[in-house]
Amino acid sequence: MDAATRERLLGRLRAVVGDRYAFADPYEVRLYQYDASPETALPDVVVIPGTAAEVAQVVKICADAEVPITARSAASSLAGGTVPVQRGVVITFARMDRILEIDADNLRAVVEPGVVNLSLSQALRPHGYYYVPDPSSQGACTIGGNVGTNAGGPHTLLYGVTVNHVTGLELALASGELVQVGGRKAGSASGYDLTGLFVGSEGTMGIATKIWVKIQPLPPVQKTLMAVYPDVETASNAVSAIVRSGILPAAIEMMDKLSIQAIEAASHAGYPLDAGAVLLLEVDGIPELVEELGERMAKVCRESGASEVRVAKDEAERQALWKGRKGAFSAMGRLSPDFYVMDGVVPRTKLPETLAKIDAISARTGYKICNVFHAGDGNLHPLVLFDAFKPGQYEAVLRIGDEILKLCADAGGSVTGEHGIGLEKRENIRYIFSDDDLEVMDRIRHVFDPHGLMNPGKVFPGEVVEGSAPSRAPDHAPRRAANVAGGDEIWV
Amino acid sequence: MGLNARVATLPGHEVTVEEQQPFRVDDLLPSRVVRPADAQDAARGLRLCDLAPTAVVIWGGGTQMRLGAAPRRYEVALSTERMSRLLEYEPADLTCRVEAGMRLRDLQEALLAQGQRLPLEPPHPDRATVGGMLAANANGLGRARYGTVRDWVIGIAVAYPSGKLARAGGKVVKNVAGYDLMKLHIGALGTLGVIAEVNFKVQTRPQVEATLIAHLDTPAAAVDTGTALARQYLAPAAAVVLDQSALKDCGMTADWRWTLALKFEGYAREVEAARDKATSLIRAAGGRVEGDDVPSRFWHAARDWSAPDGDLVVVRAIVPLTAIHAIFGVLPEDSQVMAQPAAGLVDVRVPAAFAASILRRLRTAGGDQGQVIVAAAPAAVKKELDVWGPPPPGFPIMRALKQALDPNGILNPGRFVGGI
Repeated sequence: MDAATRERLLGRLRAVVGDRYAFADPYEVRLYQYDASPETALPDVVVIPGTAAEVAQVVKICADAEVPITARSAASSLAGGTVPVQRGVVITFARMDRILEIDADNLRAVVEPGVVNLSLSQALRPHGYYYVPDPSSQGACTIGGNVGTNAGGPHTLLYGVTVNHVTGLELALASGELVQVGGRKAGSASGYDLTGLFVGSEGTMGIATKIWVKIQPLPPVQKTLMAVYPDVETASNAVSAIVRSGILPAAIEMMDKLSIQAIEAASHAGYPLDAGAVLLLEVDGIPELVEELGERMAKVCRESGASEVRVAKDEAERQALWKGRKGAFSAMGRLSPDFYVMDGVVPRTKLPETLAKIDAISARTGYKICNVFHAGDGNLHPLVLFDAFKPGQYEAVLRIGDEILKLCADAGGSVTGEHGIGLEKRENIRYIFSDDDLEVMDRIRHVFDPHGLMNPGKVFPGEVVEGSAPSRAPDHAPRRAANVAGGDEIWV
Repeated sequence: MGLNARVATLPGHEVTVEEQQPFRVDDLLPSRVVRPADAQDAARGLRLCDLAPTAVVIWGGGTQMRLGAAPRRYEVALSTERMSRLLEYEPADLTCRVEAGMRLRDLQEALLAQGQRLPLEPPHPDRATVGGMLAANANGLGRARYGTVRDWVIGIAVAYPSGKLARAGGKVVKNVAGYDLMKLHIGALGTLGVIAEVNFKVQTRPQVEATLIAHLDTPAAAVDTGTALARQYLAPAAAVVLDQSALKDCGMTADWRWTLALKFEGYAREVEAARDKATSLIRAAGGRVEGDDVPSRFWHAARDWSAPDGDLVVVRAIVPLTAIHAIFGVLPEDSQVMAQPAAGLVDVRVPAAFAASILRRLRTAGGDQGQVIVAAAPAAVKKELDVWGPPPPGFPIMRALKQALDPNGILNPGRFVGGI
């Protein structure tokens, strides 16, 4: 975009949102070039609208000028979902962060896209309710972003992911119209389920400006157990044994030896340093049931090879166990200056062989790989450790990531369980979908976005426009995990 | 192309008058029937229909064929009856892959053998097929607790008029790769493609089940108790409000007017606690617990009540929970009603002569956050009714989606919302 075009666009956008909330200063827009993935690309203009109507007008202005639009909130995407690879305008929701309504009678909350996930559950707690999907980044990520990626989290094992908890959306479409699809009621027979279709479309169908979500009564009691295993294979088989036993845990998380060491160094969660693998398990319900299930689950864990089963005695101990898990990514800084995280999924029964293959890749390439993941639903998060300042390492790690995703796909799984395809896995999507599959999806995208302006260059293979590819020059080296070690900036 | 030449290109075989009858949709009969052997075969058949182009009505078990407006055209019946195999089932993964023509009962029996189930109970599972359940978004009485079809489908293969078979989703329980086309096809009434294969996640069967029958003086008290239960932890697996005649249809006679029937499922301790809680709520609402004994066919009859065989008219209101009172408020005194208060759903069997006026009243009462449709009606009555109501916001997008996937409009033409 040349300077004159940018100034013209900026003027029109400022007329909508005010001078303060649209800017193009190269220094100011730099903040908006990245997310939690290694990729970066500078936007031409950043806009911070205050209302849905303003979002719609911004979209209309961009559409008329044929300028790409990328929606962004907390930018915690690990897949480059909010990196504006074709530049243009970044719309960010820092000002649209209001909980509009808590409607306990109808078991709904209505929120703006910029509402932070955790703050919604905190606001619901005094009413006795919560919002179930809990990505590990829930202290920063927003409901709007969750809708974009169909975000998951540890507790989606029993209760489902974002799409299972969204009943309606107000959308700013590429045409500049605002449209409400779905709403407060539970079911729908009013035409195609555009709400369900939109969730997880990663900003390529439009922008959600208002979201109706289900809220759920808080479970009276939660019990968290930590089971210690000699190796990941025994722990993986234990996961299947628990599922077979008829117990439905709310969460089953796994951490391997290397992760445990990193987590303990960073947050002292109380995981034993000599363990080969740790399972974190949670059941919820009424006290007398939770007590019974906890005991049954502990028994299954011991029978399936756990050397120790520790039950969190109180909420403080429970929080400590979860803090370790949720801070696992940040803790990687203790082991390595950089890491690259995958989000593959395999059928639960394929966990042992998949983990063994990942181990073999690590042994062959010499790169350490940690595994911290949602074991209950087979959603792996291998973290490949490396040093971006050593020549060739970043490229080698990308190849390893690719190989891991291929083996997940070959095991009957998926290349992404909750992070999204984004920019990063656009080519990997071919491991699970044929040209015919992608062609149908592409037709649908064209219905919503005929001119290819909504978060272009994402989800679909081979689309980065020449000259706009993200830079991987030395001064754009991946941001370092070490910079945030011990902090709470990176999660999964 | 002349008519004869065109007919010669169509898939399937010409049908005799006797063969036509089972494929009647409203007042229309097909001239041909095609029974694809598998998903690829279905895609090839559709391509031929599209080339003609000729109108196709898709048939599963036929239990929801009274839903929707009458087709504008109807030449070929595409039946999924030969596509009825369980393709994959790994109990330890709690997932399975089935062909769309598989009957729900057959699927549930296969799952039951492993102590598992799909917690979806559309009406008439002995006839209803998996594909039909998706297309009609047919749900049972457990929707408030277990969710609806969209919450249990993890992958799909669809045959399109282009002749292509395309997949979405996959075989794992957590997956965000690509667009979620499962959601698009569920409830689309076969207007965008022929659902050929479906991947489900399934669950372990609950440890115990229990039923509780209560009587309340007013529908408001019954509804309030049902919604109050949904707002608390330990919600029942099903909560149904029935009037006297609906109760009789389910095999029970009573001298009271309004019944709240509750089904509890789960771990033994949980069910016990839930039943105690429900009992105290019912008493607080001035109701009386009548017992836990129901005829063995009670829950099956309740499940099937909204999709009756024969010429009954069923009107369905889907509203926010707090709007259910408004729906009951405009119902005639002697209405035959079955409501699921926790799901915001009210089904009413109405006399054909009053169908139009009741529909109008319910639409006004449901307000702009609700929706009222005709869930079943004979052809003659349907002609006089707006079965779907006004097209929803976002309808231009829906029409464009139809155009993108079925450009010649051969799939179930005219049966869906807004004449799609």
